[in-house]
Amino acid sequence: MKNQTALIISGGLLFSQLANATTVEFWTAQTQTDRMQTIELLASTFEALNDGVTVNIVPVDENEMATQMAAAVAAGTTPQLVEVNSEIIMALGEEGIVNTKVHDSVVADIGKERFHKGALTTLTSPDDQYYGLPYHGWIQGIWYRKDWFDEKGLAAPNSWENIEAAAKALTDKANNQYGILIGTKQDSYTEQVFTQLALSNNAAEFDEKGSLIFNSPATLETIEFYKTLSQYNPPGPQNWRARDYYLQGKMGMFFYSTYIMDDLALAEVAKGSLTSENFKELSGGTFDPNLVKNTAFAPIISHKSAASYGTLSGLVALKTSDMTQSDATKDFIEFMYDPASYITFLHMAPGGMNPMLKGIAEDPAYLDDPNGVFKLYGADKMKKIVSGFDDIRSFSVVKGKTFPESGEIFAKSVIPRMLYSVAIENEAPQAALDEAEQEMKAIIAK
Amino acid sequence: MSSLLKKSESQLGLKLVAPAVGIIALLVIYPIAFNVYLSFFDVQLNGNRTFVGLDNYTNLLSNPRYYHSVGISIVYLIGTVIGTTILGLAAAILMNQDFRFRNLARGLILLPYFAPVISVVFGWQFIFDPVNGIYNHMVVDVLGLTDTRDNLIGNPDSALFVVIVFDIWKHFPIAYLLFLAKLQSVPKDLYEAAAIDGQNAWGRFWHVTLPELRFVIATVVLLRVIWNLNRFEDVYLLAPNVETLPIFTYYQAFAGLVDQGIAAAISVIQLLVLVGLIWLYVRKVLKW
Repeated sequence: MKNQTALIISGGLLFSQLANATTVEFWTAQTQTDRMQTIELLASTFEALNDGVTVNIVPVDENEMATQMAAAVAAGTTPQLVEVNSEIIMALGEEGIVNTKVHDSVVADIGKERFHKGALTTLTSPDDQYYGLPYHGWIQGIWYRKDWFDEKGLAAPNSWENIEAAAKALTDKANNQYGILIGTKQDSYTEQVFTQLALSNNAAEFDEKGSLIFNSPATLETIEFYKTLSQYNPPGPQNWRARDYYLQGKMGMFFYSTYIMDDLALAEVAKGSLTSENFKELSGGTFDPNLVKNTAFAPIISHKSAASYGTLSGLVALKTSDMTQSDATKDFIEFMYDPASYITFLHMAPGGMNPMLKGIAEDPAYLDDPNGVFKLYGADKMKKIVSGFDDIRSFSVVKGKTFPESGEIFAKSVIPRMLYSVAIENEAPQAALDEAEQEMKAIIAK
Repeated sequence: MSSLLKKSESQLGLKLVAPAVGIIALLVIYPIAFNVYLSFFDVQLNGNRTFVGLDNYTNLLSNPRYYHSVGISIVYLIGTVIGTTILGLAAAILMNQDFRFRNLARGLILLPYFAPVISVVFGWQFIFDPVNGIYNHMVVDVLGLTDTRDNLIGNPDSALFVVIVFDIWKHFPIAYLLFLAKLQSVPKDLYEAAAIDGQNAWGRFWHVTLPELRFVIATVVLLRVIWNLNRFEDVYLLAPNVETLPIFTYYQAFAGLVDQGIAAAISVIQLLVLVGLIWLYVRKVLKW
């Protein structure tokens, strides 16, 4: 009798497990092998805690995310969860494929006030739905050779004039030396560099009422300045991958996010980026142990106003008709926000991935990263960087209002293509700006 | 034959043909027809379709970048098709001669065709890297031919040229293979007869080899035109700023979120152009 009961109970358990068995497919923009391993570890832990749930991790390059997603939706193989940057999130939200109910209930469970305000606003739709949940983010600025600047008596590159003067002074093409690196390829890096300069010139895509105001004297002036700076770039179209020229000592300054912190500081990490899968075009260079000491960071650029720029990545649950799957996705998201798993995730790129929940940056476990990077920068500095997410600025958010069309404009690379045609194809700035405006209008009209 | 028998025979005929027709309809006609249908809609990712009539076509045909990419595609096509055909032919004639290690040499020529495109593209990018690449190192530092470093792959003027050279290098082996196969079956007597008639090497090539190869050349040209008008991966990986038609399609329709309506419209026009080109080629040039 006892045996029978046990059998029935175990049979029942087995049945209930099978009934609840579900798979959460999670697409992440973290494609490097070591980061994949960390995420796999988190997924396995979650699986161990939640019987019957399988989490499939799929790495997808950030530039390919929107395209891959479109293909998946068309093929009916949409993943349940995606981790990607805010512009793509807004574009996905506009396409009507995002599961806002899951987001609402996660925010309710965690507490709205625990998120950095600006970060949550960035992912909020005009009718107050969460298109995604902010997960991590970075701040961008200019990293520069302080020793070279001192040698030539140059001022820190925190204003347009200073940036141009330094770029000119540090360029010596005959000796294969370049003053600056700004994005001139048709990709998202170019847009990020341009956005910071444009924000510092009070240029914008939309006004508060949502009218397109991109074609303005302020934007034109920024494009012209961009073209001027591009003369001091290494030859041809460039993107972030060419940061290795800086690590090789061939470049005076470059725009980059706080992601570079560990590459500059730690030989092991720099070695990885100088030789491995990150940069196939180049076969290497040697690590300069003094580079971290000789490098300084200018996060704010001032022209007509002071502008810092950052971007954030979020988690997005996608629509599914399967409630079990939807619940499992919600559980997995909440697991990812649990301090233990959250800090494990953020430690994949100390400095590059900053938390979106208040209190995490001050958590002793967070400050004790495996490479000791935060000890070099200190707790106060980290808290200050993270506080930037309360007031993060981008083209998509104007005075607390969100314009998701900006996400589609980003996804269609309108701005990078405009800058490429000016910087590389020598098209007249006004003509390129007019064309970009036309494309933006076409996107908005849809 | 009685009419009953005739009827049942024709019914049998229909039944025999039906599976083939069914398969062709399912695999060939249906996707093309559905694509034509989609080209009249604005398609959203959540499946919603809005009928927009000819908007996708008018938007496309009023876009100056479209015509620019058509121009680039024509240069790319002419350069690569002529280049691969001539190089393939030259290599085939050379490899048809008797010499030591001929079989090894024949095998080695095929290497670029076997190598995965992604790895050879990275190789080429390294060669032409503006700061660290071998090309600039040789031209500027070693030979001192010029004092300015060039990004041959990035610079839009030279990028098209590099892409054409890359394609010729990567794809001439397939032309070579087809030519060599045919050359091996050309009877030696023809060459001997031509020699007796006083033809030199050029005369023998002109009067014997070329006429014998005529249909293989036609096939190579035809295949290369079809492949290269649709070729995406080589160009996009090596120099994404060379906007041939497939690259233009990618930026218009697949960069960011997929715009299936526009993508369908572009592919319909491309299909018509290709069909027209091939028809012209077959009827006028080959006179088949």
